[in-house]
Amino acid sequence: MAAEAIITCEGVVKRFRGFVALKGVDLAVRAGEVVCIVGPSGGGKSTLLRTINALESIDGGSITVDGRRLPGSGRDVRHIRREVGMVFQSFNLFPHMTVRRNVALAPMRARKLGAAEANARAERLLARVGIAEQIDKYPDQLSGGQQQRVAIARALAMEPRVMLFDEPTSALDPEMVKEVLEVMRELAGSGMTMLVVTHELAFAREVADRILFMVEGAIAVAAPPKEFFANTADARLASFLSKML
Amino acid sequence: MHFDTSVIAQNLPLLARGLELTLLLVAASLILGTAFGALACVGKLLGRGLLYWIAVGYIALLRGVPELIVMFWIYYCGPLLLGARLSSFAAALAAMSLYAGAYLAEIFRAGVLAVPRGHVEAARALGLAEPFVWLDIILPQALRTMIPAFIGVVTIIVKVSGLASAIGVAELVYEATIVSGQSYRYFELFTAVGACYFALIFPLSLLAQRYEAARARRLR
Amino acid sequence: MDLRPALTARPPRSAADGHAATVTATDGAPGRRRLRIDGTDVVSFVLGAAILVAVASAIKWSFVATLDPGVLLQYWRPLLRGALTTLAITGAALAVGLAVGILLAVLQQLPIGPARWLILVYVEVWRNTPLIVQLFWIHFGLPLLTGISTTAFASGFLALALQSSAYLADIARAGIQAVPRGQWEAARALGLPAVSLWGEIVLPQALRVMIPPFTNLALSFLNGSALLGLLQVGELMTAATRISDYTFKPIEVMSAAGLLYLLLNLAIGRAAQGLERLTAVPR
Repeated sequence: MAAEAIITCEGVVKRFRGFVALKGVDLAVRAGEVVCIVGPSGGGKSTLLRTINALESIDGGSITVDGRRLPGSGRDVRHIRREVGMVFQSFNLFPHMTVRRNVALAPMRARKLGAAEANARAERLLARVGIAEQIDKYPDQLSGGQQQRVAIARALAMEPRVMLFDEPTSALDPEMVKEVLEVMRELAGSGMTMLVVTHELAFAREVADRILFMVEGAIAVAAPPKEFFANTADARLASFLSKML
Repeated sequence: MHFDTSVIAQNLPLLARGLELTLLLVAASLILGTAFGALACVGKLLGRGLLYWIAVGYIALLRGVPELIVMFWIYYCGPLLLGARLSSFAAALAAMSLYAGAYLAEIFRAGVLAVPRGHVEAARALGLAEPFVWLDIILPQALRTMIPAFIGVVTIIVKVSGLASAIGVAELVYEATIVSGQSYRYFELFTAVGACYFALIFPLSLLAQRYEAARARRLR
Repeated sequence: MDLRPALTARPPRSAADGHAATVTATDGAPGRRRLRIDGTDVVSFVLGAAILVAVASAIKWSFVATLDPGVLLQYWRPLLRGALTTLAITGAALAVGLAVGILLAVLQQLPIGPARWLILVYVEVWRNTPLIVQLFWIHFGLPLLTGISTTAFASGFLALALQSSAYLADIARAGIQAVPRGQWEAARALGLPAVSLWGEIVLPQALRVMIPPFTNLALSFLNGSALLGLLQVGELMTAATRISDYTFKPIEVMSAAGLLYLLLNLAIGRAAQGLERLTAVPR
C-alpha cells in the first residue's frame, strides 16, 4: 500500500455561525482505498466530505485533491469537482430531465463530450447500476433506490478519480438499501477510490480498508475494520458501537 | 434641465387637497368594499341558492373587467340607467368599492376556511352556541390570517384611486395633471406625486410582508 | 342559516365543489343526503332577492328599453382590432418584462452588494407606485428630462414593460429560491459551468414554478393596460371610449368592451392551465 495519497486534508477547520464543525482534521486517502466515516450526527462527517469538493469553503488548513489545493482558484475548484464524484443523501437528481439526460449532461457540459458519446456512456453506466429499462423515465417516476443508483451513475459519468458518498442510504426504505449498497460494493471491488459517510456498519466492515470514527469535529479513531470493531480504548466509540449494533 | 422644487412648494396646498381626497376615497371605498365583500363572502360560504350565484357572478365580473372600465361604465352609464345625476366622486367611490369588495370577498372566505376544522368541532363539542363559535373561535383566527391579504388590497385600492382622475375626481393625480399642465413641470410634479404614493404604499407593503413572515413562522 | 357545511368541508376549488360540499350535513343527520329546503336555502334566497329587487327598482327600465345593440354590429371591427392591440401590447410588454425580470433576479443572486441594492430599489419603486403615475411620468415627465419624446404607444408600452419587469423580478426571485439547494449542489459537484447551471438546471425549474404567479400577473396587466386608453394608445379602451363618445351609446359599447376584456381573461387563464399541464414533469 505504497500508493500516493489522492486526498490529503491538513488541519482542516470549518466554522459555522457560533460553532466549529471541523477542528483541524488531518486525513490522507490513497488511490484505490475505500474509507468509511462513521459517527454520531453532528460530528462533522458530512461537512468534511463537503469541504473536499468545495461545497463548503474552509476556514483553516488545506485540502489537496489530485494535486490541486483548496482553498484555491476557480480553476482548481472546477478541476477538483470534475475529478471528484459526489452522491448525496437526498439524490438531488434533476427532476425535469430524463434519467438518461441526468447522466449524460455533465460529461457534455463539463467534459465537452459529444452527445452521442455521452448518451452511450449514460446507457452503459445505467446498465451497470441496473437501471437500463428506466432510462427514458423521469426521476420522480423511480423508487428511491433506483434514484440513488441513477445518482451514482451520474457521478460516475464524469469518470472521477474519487467518489464521495454522503449517507447514500439514509433516505431510503430498508428494502432499497441493499440494492444501493450492492452497487457501491461492486464499485469498491473495481478499484474506485471511495470516501463514504454511512450508518451501515456491516457494509463498512465488509468493504472498507479503513474506518474513521468522527465525533465533535475531529477524527477520534482511524483503523482497519478488524481493529476498529475490536477497539475498546475509546469510550465514545464503544458507546457509539453499542448503540448501533 | 434642473429639478425645480419651487413648483412643488408653490402648489403644495393644491396637492395636499388632492391627497386628502385620495385618502378619503380610499378609506370610504375600503369601508363600503368591506360590506360588499362580507356579503359576497357569505354568499360564497352558503354554497347554493340565489345569493351564492349573485356572489359568484359579481366576483367573476369585477375581477375579470379592468378597473378603468368599471369606473367609466358607472360614470357614463350610471346616470342613464338610474335616471339620476351621479357625481364623479360617487362614481369613483362606487367603482372602487365594488372592485375592493370582489377582492375582499375571496380573502374573507379564505380566512374563514383556513380556520382548522378541529377548532370548530372542538368548540361545538364543548357545547358552545353557534354565534359564539363564530365570535370566539372562527372570526378571531380568520381575521388574523386575513391581515396581510387585506393590507394588500389597501395598496391596490390606493393605486386604483389614481384612475379616478380620469373621470374628473380632483384627487392627487388630477391636481398634479392640472398644475403640471399650467407650469409644464411634469417631471417634477409627477416625481413628487410618485414619491407621495410610494410613501403611502411602501410601508403598507412592508407591513404585509412582516405579517406574512410572522404567520409563516407560526405555521412552521 | 348554516354557513358551517362549507366550513367543515375542504376549501372548495370551484363553484361545483362548493356546491357539493353542502350536500352532506355535518350535524343532525350525518352523511345522509339532505334534499329538503332548509335555512341555507331560505337565507340565500331572501338576501339574493333583496339585492335583485333593490337593483331592479333603482334602474330606469324605460331607458333600458331604448338600448340599441345594433351599434355593436356596426362597430365590432374596431373593437376587435382594439382587443387584438391590447393583447399584442400587453404580450410584448410582458415578454420584455419577463426577460428583464429574470435577468434582474439572476443578478440579485450574485454576490454583488451594490447591484443587489439598486435592483431592490428599482423593484420596490415600480411596485409601490400606481401605474397611472408611472405612465404620466414616462409620457410627460421623462421627455423633459431626456429631450427624447415618446409616442403614446411607446410610453404605454414602456410603462407596462417596466412595471411588469419589477413584478417579474420578484416572481423570478421566488421561483429561483424555490429550486432546492440540493439541485445547486449537485450541479456544482458535477462541475457544470455557470451557464449550464443557470440555463439547464435552475431556470427551467424556476420557470415552471413561475407559471401560476406569472398568469396572475398577466391577467392583472391585461386589465391594467386599459389605462393606456387615457393616452389614446389605440388599444381596446381607446376604441371603446372613442366609439362611445361618437355614438353616445356608452352602455352598449362599454359593456361590450368589458365583456371582451372578460373573455380575454378567461382565454388566457385557460391557456395558462394548458401550459402548466404541458410543462408538468411526469411523476
